[in-house]
Amino acid sequence: MGLNTAMDIGRNALMIFQTANEVTSQNIANVNTPGYSRQKVVLESGPTSTAVKGYPLESGVRIANVERVYDGLLQQQMVSSGSTQSYDTTKSQVLQQIEPSFNETNTDGLGAAVSKFFASWQDLTTNPAGYFERQAVISRAQGLADNFHSVSQTLTNTISAQDAALAPLTNSININLQGIARLNAEIKNTDMLNGNDNGSRDQRDQLIRDLSQQMGVKFTDNRDGTTDVYVYDSVSNTNIYLVQGTVSGSLTTGGTPPASTVTINDPAGTVLLSVDPKATTPLYSAPDGGQLWGTLQLRDKIIPGYLTQIDTLAESISTSVNALHSAGFSPTGATGQDFFATWAGTGAAANFKLDLGLTSSTIAASSSDQLPGDNSNALKIAKLANGQTTPAATPTATFSSFYSSFVSSFGMDVQSSKAIVAQDDAYMKQLTALRDSNSGVSLDEELTNLLKYQRSYQASAKVITTVSDMLDITLAMIR
Amino acid sequence: MRVTQNSIASNTIYNLQQGRIKLDALQESIATQQKVNRPSDDPTSSGVLMDIGDRLKALDQYATSITKANTWVSFTNTALTGMTDIMAQAKKLVSSISSGTSDPSIRQSAHDQLVDLKKQMVDMANTQIGDQYIFSGGKSNVPPFTNTDNAYAGAADPNSTQLTIEIARGTDQAVSITGDRLLLGSVTAPPPSYGETNILETFDNLITAVGDRNIASNATDLAQGATDLQAGFVQITNAVGDNITRMTRLDTISTLNDTNKNMLQSMLDKIQNVDLAQLGVELSSQTTAYQASLSTTAKISQLSLLNYL
Repeated sequence: MGLNTAMDIGRNALMIFQTANEVTSQNIANVNTPGYSRQKVVLESGPTSTAVKGYPLESGVRIANVERVYDGLLQQQMVSSGSTQSYDTTKSQVLQQIEPSFNETNTDGLGAAVSKFFASWQDLTTNPAGYFERQAVISRAQGLADNFHSVSQTLTNTISAQDAALAPLTNSININLQGIARLNAEIKNTDMLNGNDNGSRDQRDQLIRDLSQQMGVKFTDNRDGTTDVYVYDSVSNTNIYLVQGTVSGSLTTGGTPPASTVTINDPAGTVLLSVDPKATTPLYSAPDGGQLWGTLQLRDKIIPGYLTQIDTLAESISTSVNALHSAGFSPTGATGQDFFATWAGTGAAANFKLDLGLTSSTIAASSSDQLPGDNSNALKIAKLANGQTTPAATPTATFSSFYSSFVSSFGMDVQSSKAIVAQDDAYMKQLTALRDSNSGVSLDEELTNLLKYQRSYQASAKVITTVSDMLDITLAMIR
Repeated sequence: MRVTQNSIASNTIYNLQQGRIKLDALQESIATQQKVNRPSDDPTSSGVLMDIGDRLKALDQYATSITKANTWVSFTNTALTGMTDIMAQAKKLVSSISSGTSDPSIRQSAHDQLVDLKKQMVDMANTQIGDQYIFSGGKSNVPPFTNTDNAYAGAADPNSTQLTIEIARGTDQAVSITGDRLLLGSVTAPPPSYGETNILETFDNLITAVGDRNIASNATDLAQGATDLQAGFVQITNAVGDNITRMTRLDTISTLNDTNKNMLQSMLDKIQNVDLAQLGVELSSQTTAYQASLSTTAKISQLSLLNYL
């Protein structure tokens, strides 16, 4: 053991503290990087190398590890609640987009159009032969038809928009899947070289979190450093792998809009699950949330459900008005004239229109071919507004109450989805805060570390100059 | 618990955002003066609001119908009053020559007056509102009577439908009186009936009975005619009474509708209208809270070890 050993220890320490400050500067530089986990230099004293007069001495300091501060459980929670949050957000946003169609608190909409239509029949009862009253019935009916068209158009457009979102969404999912597989490969390689690929792991964690927002995925970590990503199929009770080690599966869209199909292919390219809105076994057996599931759910279940209700209303109005109207008589004594064009099948609201033969002179206000000035049929039709006529098959509500209870339940859907999103956001915020608290970079902390390592660097330099002085003294002895 | 730059940032953004959301909601309520601005604000109330709105619209429609019915009933009343006057004149005339007269010119004058009064009766019965003959029942496009015969051209019983309209939910009111009931004394179902006198025929009988400058009066027929005329007068008075009952009913229902409307409107206001004073207090406390959080954020974000190095 000579002075050179002390010199070596000092030189080594200089390099170590330089590295430590590199890690610190890396942390500072990445303070705003999403998904970055702060890294920590773990120092330990070097191995015992020499014994000086029987006393063992360690050979300075060395870096045991540069580790990232990371909580695996938190990652699991963020992935699963990310899927839920994204599903609820997708649903809530779309529902809020269509809400104005049913908002009658400020402006008149479909509900008011129904009232006005039947009010125009009331007007007709006071002057059954009057041209203007007859014309008013026709224009109110036209207004009602316009409202039905507008509502059903909005809903249909929203369904198309959901469908159109599928292709870019699956593309983005595929890119994330490939990214995860590529990072898996990098991490595996670095691991084999005994390295510690903190950056890639952070990136992969971030990609998995991003992916979880798009579809409800789960993941498991493997021993070789790779992570497998899968969705759980609740019907076949199996896991469908999307990323397995260094290979990834993919999602493909097909079919024709607005009823595109989505297919999941596993890494080997086998089709494992597909969603076809017309088929009965869609992707819904893997319902773990995410934007994809939200989009499919909106397209195939939620919005078509609303459309059905509007169709029911349209159908029962046109059926019950037609039944009375075709039994009545026009001023010229003609009968059998439908008021609304008859429509079989779905889409009653979209195809709600006046019968081609209906003009102001063929409106059947009278109950007798002998009485052109009679209003009793008009009175019957006007009174439909107060009768329980909806839905046509099992009437339990008036047109207006059917519609207002539909709007009420729709409002309930929007309200609860908003509330759930608020909860999700709060929960996600808490998880993010926990992650930031644990893995995030604190500038004050890093600055303190910077100072600490700087001082240590200065001290190590001082060791070297001191030893150098000592060497000078020794050399001076032999002059 | 470590506090890091990112957690400060995300906390700040989240909390400021929450404050903004509350301010925004308050601002909307104050600007629109409504508690419920979309169905999701309060689904149950919005259902009730739509229901009330619908009933208010219906009441407005009933009000319109009642106004039109009032016009109808007033026209009828005018016509009926006219007829009562004519009947009174006829009665006076007939009583003045009740026992007949030997003066040919008086006979001729009475004859002419009676012919003229009958014409006036028919004219009154042919009163129109717009294009509608109000005494023609379901055949409102044709005049009920002509001067040539005493036939009723309107819809005959049992089809002599009176124009009926809805004036409140589930409440109908007949607004027209048919000519056959009024002048021909028709008593066939359905009600109402005012009497059994054929007034037009009575006029014809009187015209014949009074004779003219060449024909002498028939005292027996004149006496019978005077009796019939009295019965006809009562018949028309009955119709006037019925019509006035209708007017009263329309008024009553209209008042009832107004009461209902006020009640519904006040329910609507209770659900929908905001309490501005309360909102003002909330707004000012929320604004203070938001300003405080802004200022705290600004102050805390200044703090850094860098300032002291």
